[in-house]
Amino acid sequence: MENKLYKYSSSPHVKAPRTTRQIMVRVCIALAPAVIMGTVLFGLMALLLIALSVLSAIASEFIYLLIAKKSFKSILRQFDFTSFVTGLLIGLSVGVQTPLYVPVFASAFAIIVVKMLFGGTGKNLVNPAVTGRIFAFISFTAVMTSEWVAPNIASLVGASSVSTGATVLTGMLNKEASVMPMVSNLDLLLGTGVAGCIGETCKVALLVGAIYLAIDKVINILYPLIYVAVAGLFSVMLGGFDFSLFLPSILSGGLILGAFFMATDYTTTPNTSLGNVIYFILLGLVTAGLRKATGIEVVSFAILLMNLFVPLIDKFVTHKPFGFIKTKKTKEKKNG
Amino acid sequence: MSIRKGKNYPYGIHVRDMKELCCDLPIENLPAPKKVYLSMSQHIGAPATPIVNVGDKVKKGQLVGQASGPVSANVYASIPGTVVGIEELVNGLGQKQLHVVIENDDSGEEILLPEIENRLGPTLIERIRLAGIVGLGGAGFPTAVKLTPKSQLEYLIINGAECEPYLNCDYRLMLERTDDIYKGIKYVAKALNVKKIILGIEENKPLAIEAFKIYEDLDIVILKKQYPMGSEKHLIYCTTNRKVPVGKMPFDVGVCVQNIKTMIACYEAIDLNKPLTEMVMTVSGKGIENPKNLKLALGTPLTDVVEYCGGIKERAIKLVAGGPMMGKALIGLNHYTRKTDSGLLVLIDGETNTAEPSNCINCAKCAKNCPMRLMPMFIESCALAGDFVGAKKYGAMNCLECGSCAYNCPAKRSLVQSISMAKNKIREMKL
Repeated sequence: MENKLYKYSSSPHVKAPRTTRQIMVRVCIALAPAVIMGTVLFGLMALLLIALSVLSAIASEFIYLLIAKKSFKSILRQFDFTSFVTGLLIGLSVGVQTPLYVPVFASAFAIIVVKMLFGGTGKNLVNPAVTGRIFAFISFTAVMTSEWVAPNIASLVGASSVSTGATVLTGMLNKEASVMPMVSNLDLLLGTGVAGCIGETCKVALLVGAIYLAIDKVINILYPLIYVAVAGLFSVMLGGFDFSLFLPSILSGGLILGAFFMATDYTTTPNTSLGNVIYFILLGLVTAGLRKATGIEVVSFAILLMNLFVPLIDKFVTHKPFGFIKTKKTKEKKNG
Repeated sequence: MSIRKGKNYPYGIHVRDMKELCCDLPIENLPAPKKVYLSMSQHIGAPATPIVNVGDKVKKGQLVGQASGPVSANVYASIPGTVVGIEELVNGLGQKQLHVVIENDDSGEEILLPEIENRLGPTLIERIRLAGIVGLGGAGFPTAVKLTPKSQLEYLIINGAECEPYLNCDYRLMLERTDDIYKGIKYVAKALNVKKIILGIEENKPLAIEAFKIYEDLDIVILKKQYPMGSEKHLIYCTTNRKVPVGKMPFDVGVCVQNIKTMIACYEAIDLNKPLTEMVMTVSGKGIENPKNLKLALGTPLTDVVEYCGGIKERAIKLVAGGPMMGKALIGLNHYTRKTDSGLLVLIDGETNTAEPSNCINCAKCAKNCPMRLMPMFIESCALAGDFVGAKKYGAMNCLECGSCAYNCPAKRSLVQSISMAKNKIREMKL
């Protein structure tokens, strides 16, 4: 017994049980309602798109690591489900009319170029899912934005389903009279009768997931709420203080998915509370401003743009050590 | 007497406290061991100089190590017997230290310090210095030095928070030796010439709070159960609403913080004329057969302690000297108890974390929880990249090494290790 050697490490010797993998699995669980509602609204084709996207993301990560001469066992042991989340988000943010190869390419791009080439989990500068979505949007513009398919469940309020050719937001932003009056806020919330991306149409499902994450303390719900509120209010301001625009601008497009699941990504948000508030307010302003200026859905572009400002925010907004205030005062006195 | 709630401090963490393993067990006396190994550096500062030779007969309470400077402490024989060696031994922390080895002759002979002449401030401090008393909370800073501040202080704060999980020795002492602690506190207050005495106790120790209610002149502050409430700076903030400025010491804000065990040692040195030869230690963890609170002779080998507690379970994978948050891991049982060791933890797999660190995901939990309001992830990345100027800029030198950052890290990164490395490098390079 005397000669037995014990594990040697620095303190602390006890740690909280939560790991990166557990956090990412929780995010996957939180996205499950959105996947289910996407399948209900758009059929099995939607599920296939999501599944392919996830598979492509995971396969890309494994292939990259295998090429980097990591053993299969160690890859499996260190697999942290971040690529699963990326794949899910990309699958949820394409329309059901999209050809199957689009999410496959988008996920592969997101994982290999955006994440792995920068050093893997936590090292990426921008959010892989957002960038993958933009990659798909730009590379396959024609197939991504043409012929939006109406969901299986017709509108609860309006008589006819939304005409194809434009999602509600695009129609609203371009002030197409044919779209505006036909969509009620309730339909936008439930995703009934509204054409759009698989995971973005049913906002209730996304909000349920977000509340789960907030209760489980994975995300701080305050920040995405700031984002959504600022984006809505700024849209109202830009629309000449027309408050009827507030709810539609929040509930249409990818704002809810982007705010609660993409913008809250740990890696691409600042590290302080104040930094986060600044970041999410700016994000709201940029989103509303760009939406107004371009007339298309820009949540992902806004997130991508603001991701690049995160290191800057982190550089200037840091904590002051405990007991800092007094030294500051004495300094001021000296200067005075 | 007054009882009030402490001020809220919003940062810090909540740790599973695991005190239930032995918090209801009274302190037991460990029988005197066959041999003791007295380290000459059981305190911060210069090591003591051995003043005995191999073959000398010593009595319990006889001086064997003489303090070798203003910041140093005397070491006394903790058992009667023969000095059988003065040698450099590697202890369980991997440190090579000079030890005086004494073999017990079971004579039971004990000598005391001379009777104290009077109970005036300077005499009391001189007695505390003579008795070799150091901060027994874990820091090991010679108490007499702490009691001679440059300016008059306003508060004496007694730290009864014991925020470290598992450890119960302060709690047990507060219940079992309430009166001795009170007497010790009064002597120290007299030595410091301080009128206001605050006793800070965490709210999870209602019995201890109850026990101290009877003393009219103690101001009891009930602290929230939060880690690290026992940190000097946070204790001062929560009890007196004073912030110790960055880079300053508690006496700069007119406060002296003392530990419960130190108070008992002071009482024994002054009233009973006993030098510091004993210590109280919690032996706990799921890897030990019978967790216990023990009173034992300084320098007792851990093998004796473990044997008394029923031995170590096969599943045990880690030994810790001190608490699980700030204590040091031990390589093996070749360790000899020192004044500052307040616990021996034997942890099993699952209880202690063995996960390999993965990439930082920037979740900012470390920065959110840091009680010193630092940015641990930036300090770590600077330290690992060798940028110690950057590490200093992010406040590495203010780090308490309390482990709040690493406790909650989902990537299980060794933040404390990197920050501690950065601190050492910054000191070395005099940045």
